[in-house]
Amino acid sequence: MVTGAFVEVPPAAQAAGGAADAPPAGARSRAPWRALWRRAVRLAPPYLFLAPALVLLVVWTYRPLAQTFYLSFFSWNLVPDVPMVPVGTANYERLLTTPDLADSVGLTFVVIVAMLPFTLVLPVVVALLTRRVRGRAAAAYRALIFAPMLVAPVAGAAVWQWLLDPSAGIVNTLLGTGTNWLNSVDTSLWAIIAITGWHVAGFAVLVVSAGLTGINPDYAAAAQVDGASRGQITRWVTLPLLSPTLAFLLLMTVLLSAQWTFPLIDTLTQGGPVGSTTTVYYLLWEYGFRSHDAGLAAAAGVLFFAGFMLVASLLARISDRLSRYDD
Amino acid sequence: MRPFLSTACAASALALTMLTAACGAGVGSTAPGDGQAAPVSKAPELGAGEKVSIVFESYNFGQAGAWTDTFNELIGAFHKAHPDITVTAQKPQGNSANPATDTISSLQSQMSVGKPPDVVQLGFSDLDFTVNQLKALPLDDLVGKDVVQKNFDGAKYPFAERARTLGDWNGKTYGVPFVFSTPMLYFNSALFEQAGLDPAKPPATWAEVAEAAKAIKEKTGKDGAYVDCLTKAAKDWCFQALVRSNGGRVISEDRTKLTFAEPQVTEVVTAMQAMVKDGAMPNRTQMQAVEAFARGDLGMILESSALQGTFAKGAGEKWKLGAAAMPGFEGKPAVPTNSGAALFVFAKEPAKQRAAWELITFLTSEQAYTTIATKIGYLPLRTGLVDDPAALKPWADANPYLKPNLEQLARMEPWVSMPGPNYLQIRDGMMEAVESAVFQGADPASTLTAKQGELAKLLPGGRG
Repeated sequence: MVTGAFVEVPPAAQAAGGAADAPPAGARSRAPWRALWRRAVRLAPPYLFLAPALVLLVVWTYRPLAQTFYLSFFSWNLVPDVPMVPVGTANYERLLTTPDLADSVGLTFVVIVAMLPFTLVLPVVVALLTRRVRGRAAAAYRALIFAPMLVAPVAGAAVWQWLLDPSAGIVNTLLGTGTNWLNSVDTSLWAIIAITGWHVAGFAVLVVSAGLTGINPDYAAAAQVDGASRGQITRWVTLPLLSPTLAFLLLMTVLLSAQWTFPLIDTLTQGGPVGSTTTVYYLLWEYGFRSHDAGLAAAAGVLFFAGFMLVASLLARISDRLSRYDD
Repeated sequence: MRPFLSTACAASALALTMLTAACGAGVGSTAPGDGQAAPVSKAPELGAGEKVSIVFESYNFGQAGAWTDTFNELIGAFHKAHPDITVTAQKPQGNSANPATDTISSLQSQMSVGKPPDVVQLGFSDLDFTVNQLKALPLDDLVGKDVVQKNFDGAKYPFAERARTLGDWNGKTYGVPFVFSTPMLYFNSALFEQAGLDPAKPPATWAEVAEAAKAIKEKTGKDGAYVDCLTKAAKDWCFQALVRSNGGRVISEDRTKLTFAEPQVTEVVTAMQAMVKDGAMPNRTQMQAVEAFARGDLGMILESSALQGTFAKGAGEKWKLGAAAMPGFEGKPAVPTNSGAALFVFAKEPAKQRAAWELITFLTSEQAYTTIATKIGYLPLRTGLVDDPAALKPWADANPYLKPNLEQLARMEPWVSMPGPNYLQIRDGMMEAVESAVFQGADPASTLTAKQGELAKLLPGGRG
C-alpha cells in the first residue's frame, strides 16, 4: 500500500554527494541559490511523474465538480446564447419538495439490494462449484458464465425486448401469462434487475474465482488433516479469506448498480412506465439532457455525490473491519 | 481497503463529470444581455454557381423503411434541381424508440457546441420553446413576408387554410408546416369480419369502439383497440384532441393556467381507463402497440397517418387495412388536432440561410407533397393536389384512408404547445399522470389534480 509520502534520500548519501561537487571558494555567494535549486531538482522527479495524472484528474474530475456545484445555483437550459439566471437555492428546494428525487432514491435502493444475489450469492456458489471442475471443462464453464458480459448492453436489451414482448414474446408463451413485463409498474423494475443480473453475474464470478485462486491451498489441506469436512473448510477457512473480495464486490454493487442498469433502462423503458424505473442516474439524465434543466440536474448531481460519498466511506470503514487478510 | 474510497469517489463523480463535460463551455460564459435576439437581416439570393452546403436534421431519417426511403428520394430530387446546394441529411442524436422524441435534445446539444443544423424539423409541441428559447429565425425577416406567403400559395395549389398558420408566433412565420396528420382510427378488416363486425361501418363513438374491441377480443383472441394518445411517449397531440372532443382543454386559451384536472378532462381519462379495465384496450407501450397492429395482433389503433405506410406494409396481402375518422364522445362532435412538425431555419451565414429557404420551398412544393403523401401517408397540405388527375387524384381515389384525414384537416384545431422553458416537464408530467391513471390503474381525478398542482409551479411566473 502506498503510504502517501515519498522516500527521502538518506543524509549520508546527501553528504557524500555534497562533498563530491564542493563549490569553489569564489562562488560562495551563489551557494544558497544553488543548494536550493539542487534540492528542488532532487525532489522534483516523483512530482513530475505524478503531474500528468494530477492534471487530468483536475481537468476531468475536480474542475467539473466545482462547475457542477456552481451551476446548481442557476437556471439555465444549456443553450450558449441564453443567459444563466441565478436562482439561489431554488433548485435544491424543488428537488427536496417534489417526490421525484425521493422516489428515485427509493428505487435505486431496491435495485442495489436486489442486485446482491446476482453479484454476491450466485457468484460465490458458482465459483465454489466450478472450482471442482478441472482442466478444459473449467475454462469452458467460466467462458459460458462470462459470455453475457461480452454482449453490449443495448444489443442485449433489444433481444430481451423481443423475449419479453407481451403478445409474441417467448417468456409469456412459456409461462402462459399475458403480463406486459416492461410496461407494468409491478414488474418493470424487476425485469430490469433480472436482465442486469444476467449481464453482470459473469463478471462477479470471475472476480470471486480470482479471489479463490489467491487463497493458499495449504490452509485447506491443514484443516483437512485436522479432520474438517468440506463444508467446514468452506465456512471457516475459504469464506473468511475471501472476505476482502466479497467486500469489494459489495462496494461495487452499491456504487455501480445504478450505472449498470442505466443503458437497459434507457433502451427498454425510458424510466417508465410512470417513473417506475427512474433510478437516480436516469433522473439526473432526464433533468440534464431531456428537460435541459442544467441547474436542476447539477443540484441533483451534487446531492447524489454527497450521498454516495457518505455511503462509500461508511462501506469502506465496514469492509476494513470485516475483512480478514492472509497476512 | 483504502483504494476503494477513491474508487467510490471516482464512481460517484462520474455522473457529474458526464454532465459538466458536455456543458463546461457554458459555465462562466457571459451570455449577452436579456436574451433578446438581434434583428435578423434579410438573406440575399444566392449568386449563380455559388456553392453552399447545409445540414438538414429530420426525425424522418431516424427509422428505416418508408420514412428514410422517401426522404432520401426527396433530397436526391433536390440535388438535381439545385446542383450548387449540397444537403447533408441526418437524424437526431439519441436512441429513443421513437426518434421524434429526440429532436429538441439533439438540437440543443448541437447548439451548445455552437453548431446547430441549418434546417431542422421540429414538432408543433415545441413551437413556443423553438421560437422564444432556441431562437429559430423568423422567415418573414429572412426572406420577406411576401415570399413566405407566396410559398404558401404555391405554384398551383395553396396550403390548406388551417395549416398555413401552424408555424406562426405573434403574427410572424417562423416555421413552414411540413408533415402532419390528424388522429385516424386504423382497423384490421380481417379481424372485424372474424368478430362479426362490418368493416364498412367502423365505430364512430368511443362507446362503439369499446364494444367492437370486446367483440374482437372474445371472438378472435386478439387484442381490441389501442389509443396511442395516453402515454408520455405519445406526447399530448391527440390527447388534446380527445380532451377537446369532450369540451375540455389541457391549458387555458391564453396559456397561463393548466386545466387538465377539470371534469371534462378527468371524464376522458376515466373513459379510457374503463377500456383498459374491461380488457378492450391492452396495456402496451407505443412501440409494442404499433408493432402488434402491423403484425395483425390488434384490432384497432388511433394513430397518426405517419405510420400508415408501416401498417400497409405489415398488412400486405394477409389482411386489409381500414381507416376511419377519429371517434367522438356520445352526442359531441370529435375535434381533431394536428400532429407533426414544421421546418425551421437555424443557419448562421446568409448564404446558408438562403439555401435553407430553398430547401424548405422544395420540401413543401407540390412535387414533394405528392411523394410524401403516397409513400408515407402524411397529409398533402396542398389539398388541391388530390383533385388533380396529373398529381394525386388517381392515388386518392384508390386510397380509402385519405378522405377521413382530409375532412378532419378542414375542421381541426392546432396542437397547443406548453409555455416557458420548462414546457417539456409540464407536457411529460401531464402525460405521465394520464398514463398512470389509464394503464396503471391510478385514480384519474386525484392523480391529475395532484400533478396539475405540482406542474403549475413550472409555468412562466409560476415559481413563487
